[in-house]
Amino acid sequence: MSATPPPQIAITGLGCVTALGGDATSTWEALHTGRSARGPLTAIVVDGCRVTEGAEASLPSWPSWPEKRLRRVSRSTRLALPAVRQALSEARLLDANDRCLLPRLEMSVSTTACGMEKGEEFLRALWSKTRTGQSARVAQYQSQAQTGAIHDLFGFDGPVMTVANACAGGGNAIGHAADLIRSGMTDIVLAGGYEALSELVFAGFDGLQSLAPEACRPFDRGRRGLMLGEGAAFLVLENAGRARARGAKILGYLAGYGQTTDTHHLTQPAPDGAPLERAMRRALEQSGLDASDVGYVNAHGTGTPFNDGAEAQAFHRVFGAGQTKLSSTKAALGHTLGAAGAIEAVLCLLALQSGQLAPQINLLDPEPLVAKALVGHGERADLSAAMSVNLGFGGSNAAVLFTRA
Amino acid sequence: MNLSLLSAGGVTPAGLGPDAITARWPVTATHSHGGVPVQAGLIEQKDPALLRWQKEPRLRRASPITYFMIEAVEQALQGAPHLDRGRTGVVASFFLGCLVYSVRFYRQITEEGRRFASPVLFPETVFNSPLSHVVATLGLGGPVYSQIGDKTCWASALRTAQCWLANGDCDHVIVLAAEEFDPHEVDALQAGGLLRGGLQPCEGAIALLLSPSANSPAIGTIADGYDFRTRQEGLEAAERCLAEFSPHTPLLDTATGWTRTAAAKISRSIIGPKATLTEGFTLSAAADTMRALDIVASGQSPDVIVPVWGLTRQVAAYRVTA
Repeated sequence: MSATPPPQIAITGLGCVTALGGDATSTWEALHTGRSARGPLTAIVVDGCRVTEGAEASLPSWPSWPEKRLRRVSRSTRLALPAVRQALSEARLLDANDRCLLPRLEMSVSTTACGMEKGEEFLRALWSKTRTGQSARVAQYQSQAQTGAIHDLFGFDGPVMTVANACAGGGNAIGHAADLIRSGMTDIVLAGGYEALSELVFAGFDGLQSLAPEACRPFDRGRRGLMLGEGAAFLVLENAGRARARGAKILGYLAGYGQTTDTHHLTQPAPDGAPLERAMRRALEQSGLDASDVGYVNAHGTGTPFNDGAEAQAFHRVFGAGQTKLSSTKAALGHTLGAAGAIEAVLCLLALQSGQLAPQINLLDPEPLVAKALVGHGERADLSAAMSVNLGFGGSNAAVLFTRA
Repeated sequence: MNLSLLSAGGVTPAGLGPDAITARWPVTATHSHGGVPVQAGLIEQKDPALLRWQKEPRLRRASPITYFMIEAVEQALQGAPHLDRGRTGVVASFFLGCLVYSVRFYRQITEEGRRFASPVLFPETVFNSPLSHVVATLGLGGPVYSQIGDKTCWASALRTAQCWLANGDCDHVIVLAAEEFDPHEVDALQAGGLLRGGLQPCEGAIALLLSPSANSPAIGTIADGYDFRTRQEGLEAAERCLAEFSPHTPLLDTATGWTRTAAAKISRSIIGPKATLTEGFTLSAAADTMRALDIVASGQSPDVIVPVWGLTRQVAAYRVTA
């Protein structure tokens, strides 16, 4: 008896909100201007920090919600909702009133800080003995408030898997959505991630001296750190047979997913990048593709000395000095932590669709091991496969491989 | 994909070891940061079995929840000594996560200044840091997820285990529940109206080592993700969820706090009563799984439905069979 082959996994919708744009199209266009979203931060207080700049997103308006209601929800909720709407709309899963056509829709989501600013407000109010408004702050802090707001606004419910695997979580959430479809447990999943800037997280990275004092320069020998950012991205993943049957437009396929845990150190990857290499190879193995089939890798590329050094080694061993191109979009968009893997997955799919590659900006003195691979301004390629790679605190690694529709 | 229990580990207010999971969890009088009195089930952190982990170089600065977790996982692994750790996945579920260090770090930011908050504390506030320590120290090589949400994230974690095993991503999965207590939690629970109904918070960790083999008893169908926004909607969500199962299968009494009122309105036979109202969120959900497995193993019932009352957002349930 032959085993049933695993289903092909189609992407039928995508959307994002970043510091460069309120949707996927504007983000993609801005990326190709070579612009960085770095600037002074107004959303959070950073007085006293060594670094006071980052990539802050403009909160999209939400016409159907009164300002009072918008003020009650967390910043991360406000970033997530428009990204979800774009993804569901593109997948043709919304009716004329922006309500989801499916009463139940599984979600696989990533965040690292949930609605952190509400938790911060709660503690500050408690310590200053302010009693009013505490109930709403508690309610809006936890992750189920953000996913619950998505359910409420678009009118569906269903299982929610919220993974908090630090900066690899976005890749994990998308990979897990594919795993659920592969296992036959479901045939459609809304997957993604969201993250808002918060005082605690910003001060934490600042205290670790991980923030770049000036431009973030991934894969540059003079790199000095990362730039924190915020945003959200969501994708609709679907059993391809189901997508075709309902006439959905297929934007690409998720062909492979690999995850590993690097046990070298809590906050630093193994210097040789070996655990990340294993994640990349697992994604390739699951897809049945060869490394030479992959035309572009959207790197984690935080711009920290440790991350980029390890990642360059892993990239070089897997892809060699061949034709595979590499860039980190974090120099432009900032590091969006739990949202990063989801945003970068969207960018991979847009690269597959358009043949345009996101340039590696802020490069002065490229890391020799990957110098030839780094994407130059205006570069194009006829891509058939693209990989998004993420690493996180605690050693979480995720590699997600997409192919062209 | 049915999940069978190979072994278990527990760090609960009743002590250390698998027997402490289903034993009555004692509580002691304590109070919130703001002075709200409450009974809470706390772990004896000076227990030598927990203190031994502080000698591990990687764990010197780890948060209390890390020690609870690693001890529970180690106990579960000791119960299955021939296990291939390289093919064992771990999924942890948290309602609150690294609460103690998060509050401490934010306090340093606000009181001492952003530049003077301890940089070594920050990484330990990240949700997946405790599980990362566990995996690194005990040499587990399968997939690793830290999942968060309301109490139903325990059911979600069981579902993740089913998914990994169905896809052959690993041979075994440790599903872990862990929470740590901080006095500020009481203020948050009070503000959220969750202390009403006699809810008693507690802390600890429970690890269940699960296998896909056909051995009984087993965790079977999981019905996950039924939303409520108000407490009135909680009962309706539970009824929608429970409609996924045979109406003749009894329910395990798992409700605490305000959900006891809703649970009392469900017209099904109930196996109970629940021995204690102590609420460790994911921890209590894991203990309920153990209770259900004990009930079917002892022949008290051939099967039982285990509701997971999420307390804030969702209801889930799953069936345990002999």
